[in-house]
Amino acid sequence: MLRLRVACAIGPMLVCLASVATAQTSTVTGRVANVQGGVIPNAEATLRALPPAGAAPMPNMPNMPNMPNAAAAPERTATAGADGTFTFNGVPAGEYVLMVDASGFERGSQPITVGNQSQNVTVTLTPLIIPGGEEAAAAAVGGNVADTQLLLDRIKQLEQRITDLESEAVLSEPETRVKRIEVYVDQNKNVHDEPVPGAKKEVSYQRERVYRRQTINEKIEQALAAAEDQSVKIGVDATTVTQGAGRTTGDPERPNKKAYALASADLFFAAKLAQYTSFFADVVALSGAPPDREIPSLTLLNGYTARLVNQNELNLREAWLRTEFFGQRLGITAGRLDLTNYFDRNAFSNDETTQFISDALVNNQMLGLAVNGTGVVAEYDPKNAFNFRVGFQQSNPDATSLSDSIYSLAEVGYTMTPFSLPEGHYRLWYRANNGEVDTKYATGISIDQKLSPIVGVFGRYGQQQVPGDWDRYWSTGLSFANGLVFNPHDTWGIGYARMDLVSGDTEHLTEGYYNFQLTERLRLSGTLQHVLDRQGDKFGYLLPGIRLQASF
Amino acid sequence: MRNMKRIVILLTLAVVAFAATLTRVTVNAAVVKVPDPTKVVMIVNRDSNEIAFMDIDSKKIVGKTFLGNNVNPHMVMMSPDGRYVVTGGTRANKAYIIDAKTLELVKVIPVDIAPEHLAFSPDSRWYYQGNPEGDSISVIDMLSLTKIKTIPGLVEPLNTVFLPDGSKAYVGNYGAHWVGVIDVRRHELLKKIQVGDVPGVAKLDPDKYLGDIQGINIPQITNDGRYLYATDTDLGVVAKIDPREDKVDKIIRVGKQPWRPYMSHDGKYLITPNNGDQTISIVDLRTDKVAATLEAGENMTGVNFAAGKAFVISSTSGFVYVYDMNSLRPAGRMKIGTNIQLETATTDTKDEKLYLADSTENAVVIIDAKTQQFEKVLNVGLYPWGTHIMDSKDNYCH
Repeated sequence: MLRLRVACAIGPMLVCLASVATAQTSTVTGRVANVQGGVIPNAEATLRALPPAGAAPMPNMPNMPNMPNAAAAPERTATAGADGTFTFNGVPAGEYVLMVDASGFERGSQPITVGNQSQNVTVTLTPLIIPGGEEAAAAAVGGNVADTQLLLDRIKQLEQRITDLESEAVLSEPETRVKRIEVYVDQNKNVHDEPVPGAKKEVSYQRERVYRRQTINEKIEQALAAAEDQSVKIGVDATTVTQGAGRTTGDPERPNKKAYALASADLFFAAKLAQYTSFFADVVALSGAPPDREIPSLTLLNGYTARLVNQNELNLREAWLRTEFFGQRLGITAGRLDLTNYFDRNAFSNDETTQFISDALVNNQMLGLAVNGTGVVAEYDPKNAFNFRVGFQQSNPDATSLSDSIYSLAEVGYTMTPFSLPEGHYRLWYRANNGEVDTKYATGISIDQKLSPIVGVFGRYGQQQVPGDWDRYWSTGLSFANGLVFNPHDTWGIGYARMDLVSGDTEHLTEGYYNFQLTERLRLSGTLQHVLDRQGDKFGYLLPGIRLQASF
Repeated sequence: MRNMKRIVILLTLAVVAFAATLTRVTVNAAVVKVPDPTKVVMIVNRDSNEIAFMDIDSKKIVGKTFLGNNVNPHMVMMSPDGRYVVTGGTRANKAYIIDAKTLELVKVIPVDIAPEHLAFSPDSRWYYQGNPEGDSISVIDMLSLTKIKTIPGLVEPLNTVFLPDGSKAYVGNYGAHWVGVIDVRRHELLKKIQVGDVPGVAKLDPDKYLGDIQGINIPQITNDGRYLYATDTDLGVVAKIDPREDKVDKIIRVGKQPWRPYMSHDGKYLITPNNGDQTISIVDLRTDKVAATLEAGENMTGVNFAAGKAFVISSTSGFVYVYDMNSLRPAGRMKIGTNIQLETATTDTKDEKLYLADSTENAVVIIDAKTQQFEKVLNVGLYPWGTHIMDSKDNYCH
């Protein structure tokens, strides 16, 4: 019975051995040596079969599902003995790569072809030298150990010398950096890196030395960036708007065929004061004669006119501090500001410097604020689809107290991609005034929606409560960018705005503009406006214009 | 009796062979530090000049390979067959080859100047090491572990991508406005593909067009391997390249100064982070049109995809911006830290977690893509510059 069991167990093994014996196999032997010919003992040899010609070679490339998923080539390993020799028995004929690893040496790798005859291979390994790292295992080198050691030492010295020369050539002194660290301080003021009983966690600062070689360029760039970060940044925005006006309808006594020009220069100052806290100031000076001095339209034909307080005088337009809280989700801005800058920020019709120049296509006319003043804005932006804003501002610079001149706004905004269209922004706002004013409340919406990567549509609606009824305003238009333009960064648009006041006065305004971006800092725009007003009598004007803007 | 002798001999041989196998397993277990190369995150520690290996499950560093002082490794990658880990030492002008299991440095190969990004051919045979300051690519044969050639004629080659069949490789030249096509059989520059036209007004703006050049970072290949998309940072465009004819099929205008394209894992979209206007452009690959342009952060260095979302790394702000890739809407912003610098990240193969290099904290930030919660693994090495996971779909560098 025992004999039967043994026979059953041995049977498959014999079949296996018999099948191996019938295949064409041979023996591969080898000897591992160093460059001097000395023996390297205990090396590990790996014999890796190469796929036959035409076969899929290797597993998939990441992220490339079309690659054939062939299994990795099989491998065999053997360990060399004390005499540096190794043997692979029963190796089928074919193409192989023989790789040999030994501690302290670079990997040796060579292709071999195995046929019917046994073959012997000599593998020569070169020492692995890592500058600055652990010394190569010179002791593993056989043969004339003393001479070899001398040579290795000399090579190491030369390597070190080369490294030193390279270091001096490219400014490679070890970098030092001050890091903010958290440590644990006990009652005896002993500092621990890890928590210990009775120790308090404290923040400290510590220098760290790192081995990073920097080029001169990197050093200079870092220094410039650090200097810029600490300096007060100054910006300039200078614009000249030249417009003509031709009367299209109305009383012949009204001005006709007139030319107008307005020059504006803004000086911006910005500085970082503390963590997440910055300061901004805008000083503006204007001079010239805009068409709004002669054409009594309900809205400003040149949006820059709103900034004109006194000719040729510097005016402090804005000066505020901004700080951010709660992971920078909440931003608070306080100081002298223009509250309408923070609300109804329509993407396609909100900037008289690069988009429409008519104020009716820059601001919602029902926002109803003409002057800057002291105020506060809070913006909560969690960077999801929603954002919220609320703010108030002094609306009358002559008021003796804020309680008689508070102008406040609140807005909720939402970003969406409806009906497979690109992104659109939708806003709903509410305004309230106190004091002796004609309108106490107003509401409005503002939409900018891209219809395609090139075309965007915008729309605004607003109404303000006046005794007995509501004044109403709306505007709409199209904006074009990234296509249908002469130069890649040009933009253009057409828009229409309408005002209907309870008093019976109405206005229809149409404008088209084309904005050439000549350089990063220079723009040239052509504008064409038509305004038709009914204020007791009816009058209309056509206004071609040129706007040249430099901003840096 | 004779048969009995044979049986005894065979049994003895079998026992000896079994014992030898056991011994061999024991010896191997002593030196193998990474038994499964798919289970580790590789971390390039630029300032401690080493590659660290973090076990994905335990989040412990299981080994580090020191490369030498002042090496400053830039990008790490595992060969597709899982056999080697390689990196280019930017300041040492050398390529380093590490055994993926023992983590031993097996070869150091001199290459050209300032090696940074690299790529493997799909069959793991060729390791292309880009040398941006040498304007060349060093070709390393992974069978013999030797440099067999240097391909000249490139202009600040930043990234290389191989076709799935391994026949050609495409090189992004950051110092020019063309993509280089390499014949992989001969390792020669075959063709130059211009991705966009410099606008006519360029001569009015020498500060921008002559002062510096920011051309093409990488020609990114689609998941099916059919097309390549390459951004040109100066021109603000994405070019769709047909590799069958090596021609530009379409030019798509995106935001200002797009860094590079990142492919979503479902193959539907690509995203370009536009550092010029701090937005991202999401391009629909079915229509080749910009599906949405959304607000993002400053100095964006990477985009990862997981759990149906895109995670956009804003390097200097310390934020990761999140976008829902179904609705194409913003989905929040994660504050990783204050006064820190984030680098690049890799995503695990399950598309569940991101491993983000947080250089100034010497940490790797593990982000759970579903919950948008994160934890930091500190002291991974000095100035971790990038991470890599074998077979991840988001393996990239700056």
